[in-house]
Amino acid sequence: MEPVPSREIADMAGAAALPRKNGELVFDEAWQGRIFGMTVAMSHEASFEWREFQAQLIAEIAHAEREGESTSYYERWLHAFERLLADKGLLDAGALAERTRDFESGRRDDVF
Amino acid sequence: MSGTHNDHGHPHEHGHHHREPESTLSLRVRALESLLVEKKLVASDAVDRIVSAYEQDIGPHNGAKVVARAWVDPRYRERLLADGSAAIEELGFGGVDLQVVANAPGVHNLVVCTLCSCYPHALIGLPPVWYKSFEYRSRAVREPRVVLREFGVDLPETTEIRIWDSSAELRYLVLPERPTGTEQLGEAELAKLVTRDAMIGVALVKPPASAPR
Amino acid sequence: MNGIHDMGGMHGFGRVNREENEPVFHARWEGRVMGISRACSVQKIFNIDESRHAIERMEPVEYLRSSYYERWLDRNVRLLVEKGVITREELERRMAQLAAGTDPAPPHSDPKLADRMMQVTQERTPYRQPGPAPRFANGDRVLTRHDAPVGHTRLPRYARGKPGVIVRVHGTFIFPDTNAHGQGEQPHALYSVRFDGAVLWGVSAEPRAPVHVDLWERYLEPAAPTRSTR
Repeated sequence: MEPVPSREIADMAGAAALPRKNGELVFDEAWQGRIFGMTVAMSHEASFEWREFQAQLIAEIAHAEREGESTSYYERWLHAFERLLADKGLLDAGALAERTRDFESGRRDDVF
Repeated sequence: MSGTHNDHGHPHEHGHHHREPESTLSLRVRALESLLVEKKLVASDAVDRIVSAYEQDIGPHNGAKVVARAWVDPRYRERLLADGSAAIEELGFGGVDLQVVANAPGVHNLVVCTLCSCYPHALIGLPPVWYKSFEYRSRAVREPRVVLREFGVDLPETTEIRIWDSSAELRYLVLPERPTGTEQLGEAELAKLVTRDAMIGVALVKPPASAPR
Repeated sequence: MNGIHDMGGMHGFGRVNREENEPVFHARWEGRVMGISRACSVQKIFNIDESRHAIERMEPVEYLRSSYYERWLDRNVRLLVEKGVITREELERRMAQLAAGTDPAPPHSDPKLADRMMQVTQERTPYRQPGPAPRFANGDRVLTRHDAPVGHTRLPRYARGKPGVIVRVHGTFIFPDTNAHGQGEQPHALYSVRFDGAVLWGVSAEPRAPVHVDLWERYLEPAAPTRSTR
């Protein structure tokens, strides 16, 4: 199921603009498409307003630019998403770290 | 300070007008800075530094050095006309995608940005108010000869006036003609003759008063 | 867009007023606005095309009444509000606080930000990007598009639907018409196009006063050959 981005999402400009090639959205790796989809889906489910995520994304990009970080657009998107979920109490940082270790160690294989 | 007490919507002695009183503008900007500092998106010392750079370090004197070098060194002049950005980097300048256009007998160049105020500010500093004015932006493209006359530049009818409307991210710098009688001057003295107006194209470079005729 | 900002060739504006030895900034607030703009720009809160279009979106009467840095201030507030970084209410509240003598913002220093802001005056600009091979070459006769886009464009109205000649192929550059609207950078060929004064302004044109405009390939079509091109 592909979430359809609203105008609000598609029209973000500045550095927050979704990477495109000839107008088409670009995901260099599969995880980027997954995080994009997750963020859009959650905003549709009203876990947060798109504007809240956008502000978080802008702050994340601004921080990365100040620090001269070479992180990619979707790496910054991921950080912004994690930060937003933590701020909203929707995700516990400890739980995320533990689940990450589960996947890294091979103890877990499936998303569900 | 500005010497005028009536600053709501009336032209100032400095030739521009505001829609709001200065005091409101000043307060709004302080508030904006304060909010952005609080959100850590702006630091006041960073703003101080860039303001100071444009007030003191970055100005027409930098462009004048480029012009003077082109006058004394014909091969530098060729490089400057071929690739302005690379040539100014040789002299330690940068920050602008530069196109240099040379005046010559029968050819005079004039630079404008009709759509906003694009200008080679990294090389010659922030533009003067008149360059950004509606008067200049609207008239320079259509009646350049009349505008130049208002600036005190009277060109022969046979001179072609090339107007450059800076509509993209290239920025234009006029390479004025070297005035006669300056053969004895060194590069630093030549640079002193070159004005901002000459590099925009609304003035010619005058020889020094003491130059032989 | 057919905005008030697109004023090349307009009548009625009168003599150019000059101030001798004018200061770089006429008031402290102007410098602060410039610095805030630069900070937002290097942190990529908004891009240059977006920021120009935000000024273009001012009400025409407000545009004409405002000084240059007032338009920058309007742009900064407009974009920061649209992007959810601040709200207008927050700004009004902070103005009231400052007027009453308190500034709740804790002092904040950021030398790295200052360095980034200064670097812009030294480094190459980021607008040249790889793009498709140019279609036109020096000497080619072209005709500019005649349409009236609603969004941002850098084809001035005075040069729409006009025949011109390519005098330089500049390279490939980020395209403002898409970049201002989140539609991607879509870099492609940029040209210097020369127009005869008479073509632009008709019989009232000054002689020997050609106008050169930097135009993207998507603004251009090949001109139909005329007898004079034989």
